[in-house]
Amino acid sequence: MRLAKRMLFNKKGSLMGAVLAVTIGILVIHVNFVIFQGLFDAIVRDISNYRNGDILVTDEADYIDKSDLALVNWFERIPYVQGATPRLSSSAEINMTKNGNLIEETRVPVVGVDPLRDVRASTVHETVSDGTYVLNRNSVVLGTNVANDLGGAQVGDSLKLLIVDRTGEDQIRRFNVAGIVKSPGGQGLDYSVVMHIDTLRDMMGRSGESGSFMVKLNDPNKAFEVKEFFLAAFPNDDFLAETIEESAEEQLAGFRSGIAMINMIGYFGMMSSAFAIVTIQMMLVNGKTREIGVMRSIGAKRKDILIIFIFQGMIIGAIGAGVGTAAGLGYTMYAKETNMSFMNSIPLEVNYNWEKIIQTAVLSFTLAIIASLYPSYRATKLLPVEAMRTV
Amino acid sequence: MSKIYGIGENQVKALDHTSFSIEKGEFVLIVGSSGSGKSTLLNMIGLLDRPTNGKVFIDGIDTTKLSENKISSFRNKKLGFIFQFSNLLTDLTVLENVLLPRQIAGTNGSAEKDARELLKTVGLESQMNKRANKISGGQAQRVAIARGLINNPSIVLADEPTGNLDSVTSDMVVQLMKSMAKKLNQTFIIVTHEPEHFGDVDKIITIKDGKSYVGNPTSELEVIA
Repeated sequence: MRLAKRMLFNKKGSLMGAVLAVTIGILVIHVNFVIFQGLFDAIVRDISNYRNGDILVTDEADYIDKSDLALVNWFERIPYVQGATPRLSSSAEINMTKNGNLIEETRVPVVGVDPLRDVRASTVHETVSDGTYVLNRNSVVLGTNVANDLGGAQVGDSLKLLIVDRTGEDQIRRFNVAGIVKSPGGQGLDYSVVMHIDTLRDMMGRSGESGSFMVKLNDPNKAFEVKEFFLAAFPNDDFLAETIEESAEEQLAGFRSGIAMINMIGYFGMMSSAFAIVTIQMMLVNGKTREIGVMRSIGAKRKDILIIFIFQGMIIGAIGAGVGTAAGLGYTMYAKETNMSFMNSIPLEVNYNWEKIIQTAVLSFTLAIIASLYPSYRATKLLPVEAMRTV
Repeated sequence: MSKIYGIGENQVKALDHTSFSIEKGEFVLIVGSSGSGKSTLLNMIGLLDRPTNGKVFIDGIDTTKLSENKISSFRNKKLGFIFQFSNLLTDLTVLENVLLPRQIAGTNGSAEKDARELLKTVGLESQMNKRANKISGGQAQRVAIARGLINNPSIVLADEPTGNLDSVTSDMVVQLMKSMAKKLNQTFIIVTHEPEHFGDVDKIITIKDGKSYVGNPTSELEVIA
C-alpha cells in the first residue's frame, strides 16, 4: 500500500490529472443538478406559492359552492396547514384611455383573491412592485405584462373591465389600479389582473362560489396525508384534491424529461472521467514497467501487482470524489446563498440532496476503481524478464 | 535444459542441452561472451523464464512443475536477486527497498531489525532513510545485495553485479558478496564477463554457443553437454 501511494504521489502530474478528471466529472453533475433541478424546483415552488399551493382543491364538475369560511376553517385547524384561501378565475376584456388613446386588451386572465386570506396561503402579495395588493372591491392589481400591454398602466390609473357572467350577459365595471405585480422569473400573476374575489363573484354571477382553494402547508411533505384526510372528510362532495406534483404535472412533465437527459449528459461526463483514468493509469503502468518486473522477480504475485494499481485507483477515486464533492458543495452553497438566477430570470431553488451527493461520490469512486481494473490487469500480465528489459 | 526463442527459420537456440549441478554454499561464476546465453541461463535458474525443454531442480524440487503462484513464492523465499543496474525502486527509501521482499512474503516480524542489520553489514546504515535514487551506483548495488539477502535465500543470483561499476567499487561489491556467502553459507551464482574481479571461486561455468562447460573454455574444458 505504501508503495502504491508512493508510486502515485511521486507522479504528481498523473495524480493531479486523474483526480481532476474525477473532480470535473462530479462537478459537472453537481452543477447540472443545481441549475436544472434548481430550476425545476423553482418552478414547482412558484407554482405552489402563486397558484396551486401545496394542495389544490377544485370541484370535479363545477364550481365549489361550500362557503369560504367552512373550508378555510376546516383546513386551518390542521397543524400542518399554514393557510388556505379561495380563488376564482375568469377572463376579461379591458379598455383604458391612456394619453387620449383608447387601448383595448381581450382575453386577459382575471384572478379573484380574498386579500386577507390570500396573504397566508400565497406569496403573490410579495410580488407587488408598485402600489399595494388588492385592498378594496373597486381596485385591481395588474400583472406587469398586462400593464405594459395597456400602454404602461400605472398605479392610480382607471380602467374598464368587461366580464361575461354565467348567463352570457356582459358585466362592465370601472376599477382603479392599486398595484402592479412582477414576479422574478414571471411565474406569478404577471399576465393576469387580480381583483377582490367577491367583486369577481358578483360580476360572474357566482355568489359564494369559488373556482379552487389553494392550501399552503408548513411541511409540504405532509401534502399527501392532508389531501387524503380532506377527501375522507368530504366523501359526498365532488372535490378533487391534488398535491403540487399532481396539479402541476402537465407543466412539469416536459421539464422532467429534460432533467433526465441533462443528468444522462452528466453521467456521460463521468464516464469520460473514467476513460481519462484508464489512460492515466495505463501511463503509470507503462512508466513503472521495470519496477513491476523487479517486484515480480523478487516474488510479488500477479495479485500483489493487481492490488497496487487497484489501490492507486482507490486513492484517485477517494481524492477525486472528496475534492469533486467539496467543489460541488461549494458551488451549491454559492448558488443557494446568492439566490442564483440567470439573466434576472427565476431564482433557482437550491437544495442539498444528500442522497444524490453521496450517490455521485460513491459512483465516481467506484468508477475510478473500475477504470483501474484494465491497467492493473495489464500490469499483472507483464513478464518479469521482459519488464526488466524496459528502460 | 534448452531454451529456444522464435519459431521456424527464425529459431534461436539460446541454451542447447545445458546441464550442470551446483552444491549448497558454492560460489559459482557463469562466464561467456556477449550473447552466449549467460543471462538466459540465469533467468532459467531464477525461475524468471521457463526452459523450452528440460528441468531445473532447486533443493530437489522440479521447479518446472510449479504453478505460477508457487514459482513467485519460491522466488521470494528461496532465491535472492542482484541485478546489473541494482533495479531499486526509486519511489522507496533504501530501508524500504531492503524490506520489500520480506513484505511481499508477508512475514514482517523482525523484518525492520533484519533489514537494518543487513544495511549495517553492507555499510549503509547512515543512508537507510534516503530515497533510492539519491545514492550512488556502488551504494545502490550494496542495497541490492542487502535486498537479495533479506529473506535468507538458498541461492543468490547476480546478473553482472559489477558491470556498471568502476573497478574500486566493483572490488568492494565482490568482496562484500564473497564475505556474505561465507558468513551465511549461501549459494551465489554470478553471471559476469569479468571473472578476474572475483579471484578464487568454487566453480566457473562457461557458456559458449548455448552449451555449458565447467571450467575455463580457453584451458581445460569439461563439456557437460
